[in-house]
Amino acid sequence: MVLSIQIKDQMNLLPAKTYRWLNVNHLKMDETIDKEIKAYNKKYVKEVKDENIIIGRINNVVSFNQYMSNIKDDKIEYGISKRMVQMAEHMNNAGIFANVRKGATIKEPIIIEYRMDQDNDVVIDNNIIIAEEKSRATFIIDYSTTEDVNAFHNGALKVYAREGAYIKVIKIQRMNDSSLHLDSNVAIVEKDGNVDFIQVEFGSRKSVTNYMSNLKDGSQSNIETIYLADKEREMDLSYYMNHMGRRSISNMEVKGALKDRAKKVFKGTIDFKLGSSKSKGREEESVILFDKDVKSDAVPILLCTEDDVNGQHAASAGRVDEDKLFYMMSRGFSREEAMQLIVEASFNPIIDKIPLEDMRSIIREEIHNRLVMEGNQ
Amino acid sequence: MDVERKTYVEELDRSIYDIKNEFRYSYKAEKGLTPEIVKDISRRKNEPKWMTEFRLKSLEIYNKLEVPVWGPNLDDLDIDNIVTYVKPNTDMKYSWEDVPEDIKDTFVRLGIPEAEHKSLAGVGAQYDSEVVYHNLKGYLAKQGVIYVDMETAVKEYSDIIRRYFMTVVPPSDHKFIALHGAVWSGGSFVYVPKGVKVDIPLQSYFRSNAPGAGQFEHTLIIVEEGAFLHFIEGCSAPKYSVNNLHAGCVELIVKEGARLRYSTIENWSKNMYNLNTKRAIVEKNGTIEWVSGSFGSKVSMLYPMSILKGEGARAEFTGITFAGKGQYLDTGAKVVHAAPYTTSNINTKSISKDGGVAVYRGSLNIAPNAHHSKATVSCESLMLDNKSRSDTIPVLDIKNDEVDIGHEAKIGRISEEAIFYLMSRGISEEEARAMIVRGFVEPIAKELPLEYAVEMNNLINLELEGTIG
Repeated sequence: MVLSIQIKDQMNLLPAKTYRWLNVNHLKMDETIDKEIKAYNKKYVKEVKDENIIIGRINNVVSFNQYMSNIKDDKIEYGISKRMVQMAEHMNNAGIFANVRKGATIKEPIIIEYRMDQDNDVVIDNNIIIAEEKSRATFIIDYSTTEDVNAFHNGALKVYAREGAYIKVIKIQRMNDSSLHLDSNVAIVEKDGNVDFIQVEFGSRKSVTNYMSNLKDGSQSNIETIYLADKEREMDLSYYMNHMGRRSISNMEVKGALKDRAKKVFKGTIDFKLGSSKSKGREEESVILFDKDVKSDAVPILLCTEDDVNGQHAASAGRVDEDKLFYMMSRGFSREEAMQLIVEASFNPIIDKIPLEDMRSIIREEIHNRLVMEGNQ
Repeated sequence: MDVERKTYVEELDRSIYDIKNEFRYSYKAEKGLTPEIVKDISRRKNEPKWMTEFRLKSLEIYNKLEVPVWGPNLDDLDIDNIVTYVKPNTDMKYSWEDVPEDIKDTFVRLGIPEAEHKSLAGVGAQYDSEVVYHNLKGYLAKQGVIYVDMETAVKEYSDIIRRYFMTVVPPSDHKFIALHGAVWSGGSFVYVPKGVKVDIPLQSYFRSNAPGAGQFEHTLIIVEEGAFLHFIEGCSAPKYSVNNLHAGCVELIVKEGARLRYSTIENWSKNMYNLNTKRAIVEKNGTIEWVSGSFGSKVSMLYPMSILKGEGARAEFTGITFAGKGQYLDTGAKVVHAAPYTTSNINTKSISKDGGVAVYRGSLNIAPNAHHSKATVSCESLMLDNKSRSDTIPVLDIKNDEVDIGHEAKIGRISEEAIFYLMSRGISEEEARAMIVRGFVEPIAKELPLEYAVEMNNLINLELEGTIG
């Protein structure tokens, strides 16, 4: 059964619309994907030997409804678009459900890997993580292609962090340059909870990602991102920190590099809702531009209906410091190697937060491949 | 030199305030704006044919465009019946007695001379300040500076007006500027010849205006090579108008090496929809400096734009927005870097209180050829209570790698520590808050001529009264 998936949609809608001529109010997506949605047959969840966590394929965990029953915010609107989230939630062929027991700390990171190939070139995953009170866990979700396929990924992830829980989610996207990557994420962070997202966005012809955190009293959420776009690739990143409770804290730190004719739109919103007094929100984006034909848009939005808050955003963009490059080249590095060093210097503080050495080297290798190998061709 | 205004104003003939508005014409109520109405406006002004045609073309565009889908809610504007905003309305009383008490009161408290009250309030005849205006005109004429109202300019300097009129801001830009193109009336034309440095700030409300001016007024300023001008628009006094739509247009052309400073203090009465469009084109090594204060109106949409067209062109924008009860002030600045080595600095501050909404909305575009451009944007918002709202919506669009861009925004409230400290020094809480707010707007105040700065401070004090306890 070959289905063609028509994606004609407005994605990553700006939370506050602005001048139309800038074309940042939404991303227009018009793609036809001639693919069969069939089961994803490869194993993607690594075995976890810890009785404090229930984890499995979302379709296999029959009883996950029982965990959902006491969740209030299950009707939340989030993601790159309503239709894409619906697709992920109802037409998925993969995904996990995880429940971390009250008070438990899962020491080993939980690893979910999608290696797309000829036979498994579509991943539509729906993921739900429920972290019970004061539990702690780290999840790493890695999307990659192993063969030269036009892979398609559309995913949804909901994280429920109960009182005092701490969840870290690391998403790595390094699919090949002919693939399409769509990804919607939301975290509901209850009192004194903490959800950290780390996003590594390196691949795909088009990549559209969306992160949102609903922050209750005393909760915290961080998003740290590194992205790298080269050639004709396009990236649209949209983050939304929704401060609902008192004394909530959010941080966004986005670091990127653009090369060749790559295009990127970054939309980062901090929203201080009425009642979010004593909250703090910080947002920072910096991008290194390698070529004159790149296009970099940034829309850092601050929305505020509460006076007793502290919100800040900063964005900067600039080309690589020629003096720095020249100095390194005088020390025997090639231009490309020097570029790699500069990008790594910017990315390292975030790369270092990934708890697996293997994963860190994969990411560094990816930077090397994109900046040095291809630069030498 | 700036203080001259005050002395001259005292010498004005008071009788001019008693002149009745002889231009009370009324159109038959027709839905929508028809070509006949537009033609009639043009005929009454005795305009050259090209202007009549220009108006009609703008009307066509107006009818095609839709109201912006972003920004403040404009539902209360009766768009289908726009004609009621266009014609001076005789049914509505249009006299000093109808000016709301609070506005009259504000005049006194701002320390504005009594003689100016009525004309500033927008009622009574716009004063034809013979003394001031003509003295000034003589002085300027000696240097070859042209400073006339737009109606006169269209007739006397037809060639030059025709060449530049609405080329900086074309009527196709948005619905309200198309409306402006069709029904504009009044405004100023200033031409500063090559190398002339005008050493006194020109102030727009010096000059007599046609009825209805100040509603769809058109300002065109051309500063030739190496010349300098400081133009001041509006004043801190509240401006009252029964026609509550203002859709003005300001076009500024800054030639090579020239510098133009354009200052505005806007304080429309709080029933006004202020949908104003301002834009400057800056050529090689030219400089545009905007100083913009928005205090009045019910809804404002105002984003002065600087197009840096020539190499080495510069733009500076300094803005303050103060949104109080019932106000939605959506303001900001736009800069397009369209040439190499261009520089822009945007520095804005906003204050919101009592349920007011202050929005900073801006854009910064770096064109592919604008290498070695530098741009900084800094927005600071101060909220005085949690009934109010303050949003920052900037867009940075960069299409060149050899640039240096910085953007910063901050939001917050007056720190309790600072208040406490000042109070421990024997300053009352109210005064402490006022001091901090004045300190917050100081960077703007110091850009203004002295008497404007004083008036702005008074205005802030007035606005802050009763915020506490």
